Amino acid sequence: MSTETLIGTGINVFTSDDNAVGVIRFLDSPDEVLEFIDGPDVENTVVISRGGTTTFMSPALMAGVAGLITLQGAPESHLGILSREFSIPCVMSATFTDGIQTSRGETIPADGTRVRLDITGEKGQIFLLPS
Amino acid sequence: MSEAIDIQLYLQKFQGKYPQGPEGDRQIRQDLTVPFIETTDADVRATSLADDQVNSWLHYAAWNLWDFILGRASEGESGLIPRQEYETVSFVQQWSIYPRFIRMLTDEIGVAGLLDLAKTSRREVGTKINVTRNWAASVCPILGRGIAVDLGYHDANSRREDLEELIQFGRRLQHGTWGGGPGFVSARGYQAPALDADVLGPLVDQARPLEGDAMKTFRRFNATTELFGFMLHYDCRAGMADTGPYPLPDGRFALVRDHFLNETAYPWSGVAEGLPYAVTEVLVFPADKVSATVNDIQTTFTKPTNYLAFLAEGAVFARQKMDTPMSELRVLDDAEMKTISAACHQGTLAMYKTLARKSQEEKIRDGIMVYTREFLLSHATRVGLWEKFRAEGFDTLHADAERAWPVLTSGKAAEILTPVLLFGNGFPSVTSGTNGTA
Repeated sequence: MSTETLIGTGINVFTSDDNAVGVIRFLDSPDEVLEFIDGPDVENTVVISRGGTTTFMSPALMAGVAGLITLQGAPESHLGILSREFSIPCVMSATFTDGIQTSRGETIPADGTRVRLDITGEKGQIFLLPS
Repeated sequence: MSEAIDIQLYLQKFQGKYPQGPEGDRQIRQDLTVPFIETTDADVRATSLADDQVNSWLHYAAWNLWDFILGRASEGESGLIPRQEYETVSFVQQWSIYPRFIRMLTDEIGVAGLLDLAKTSRREVGTKINVTRNWAASVCPILGRGIAVDLGYHDANSRREDLEELIQFGRRLQHGTWGGGPGFVSARGYQAPALDADVLGPLVDQARPLEGDAMKTFRRFNATTELFGFMLHYDCRAGMADTGPYPLPDGRFALVRDHFLNETAYPWSGVAEGLPYAVTEVLVFPADKVSATVNDIQTTFTKPTNYLAFLAEGAVFARQKMDTPMSELRVLDDAEMKTISAACHQGTLAMYKTLARKSQEEKIRDGIMVYTREFLLSHATRVGLWEKFRAEGFDTLHADAERAWPVLTSGKAAEILTPVLLFGNGFPSVTSGTNGTA
């Protein structure tokens, strides 16, 4: 039987019984966002951004990513509001117990890591899925 | 703030005392010396204010700002638009120029004319003469005053007449919308049912059940137009506005939502070519399954949070131009909603690519233009003063804003802004002892 491992928690933007399952992609610049949306498997990707502003992630929202994770911000932020309108599961101000270090020393799952976002409660949980 | 404070306590309660939400509103209003956040026919006409009136208003405004900004927990940095940077410089710019232009507006139409102008928020949809501007046209420049005091540009008692002008302008707009009583939405139970019943009724009458493809089209339209509104207005909430909730018969309620898609005031407006000035959505929900609150910047929050899962009926209207009469609002069918959604999708991408190539300085300057224009542009346009505003230097960056720019966009900005935005320092009280005539 496969097992999941809880690797991160944050604030859930809206509750749903639907899980978001996808592979992680950290997007750190507008050029990376634009390159990403022109690539494959957009709808099977859970993207991570640093901030909680809307506009930076707008192409990813419109492209219909599987889920969003931010390292800053809260559900009342613009990105929180828009992820709600797009019905894209979103966990904000997430912290991770396991992963790689960004250039700024934040811990995040590595690109390509397969995760599930549990958004059934106020707290959003990010589970590592077996590869 | 010179003395050490318990930051965690200050984040939980305003100045360590007043909580968020209705209970915080109740407690702080109980402690106000005079109930000056409420408006009356007489006191909105006052031309000078007493210290107690000014300070009561300032104290409440400080809590009100903390109340909603806390929830955003700092949106954090933006990888595209430096919004915090341009907003804070804009506050200083607004404090520098708004009093002069607000006097010009008031001289042109009088207090009675201002009250009538603000009634637009009750009579029309797809207008920026709305509840958000009631709040922003006074609170934002007054926050700029707080920043100016904090930066040592002047003391809290300087420019008292400008402070009073701004407070009274905001109160007059609030009075026009609500007709009296509390002016802030936070003091009205976080309910903002601004539209008169005879305006709301025909809009709700057009709502139709949403199922299957119709629901999918409606929700896609809602999301893409809202996102484009954010993008067009440089990531600020000037591009959207909710009113309601409006209780309806048989246990339902409605929200009415404006998305502004074609504001022609900006150099990048071409990206919106062909789109209506505004689209207005009516969203109907079962009241036994979902409840809604609206804040002073016309943003809805719901319990449960996944409110769109309970959306039952909807209708969408278009206001083609800013001055299109309400009688010429048109209902959008699914085909046109899809066309507009597609145009907003393309417009958002086009704006994104343009913004990705702009320098930080250009984006801050653009943002200041948006944030400074947005709260007075529609009012001035409606009374025929906008071109005069421009001719008289509305868009010229004031020396104080230029001076504040490097400070407020530097690495030290958070150190300066946290006490101003969250600890009440943005609304220092006055102590001149001036007697008012209200």
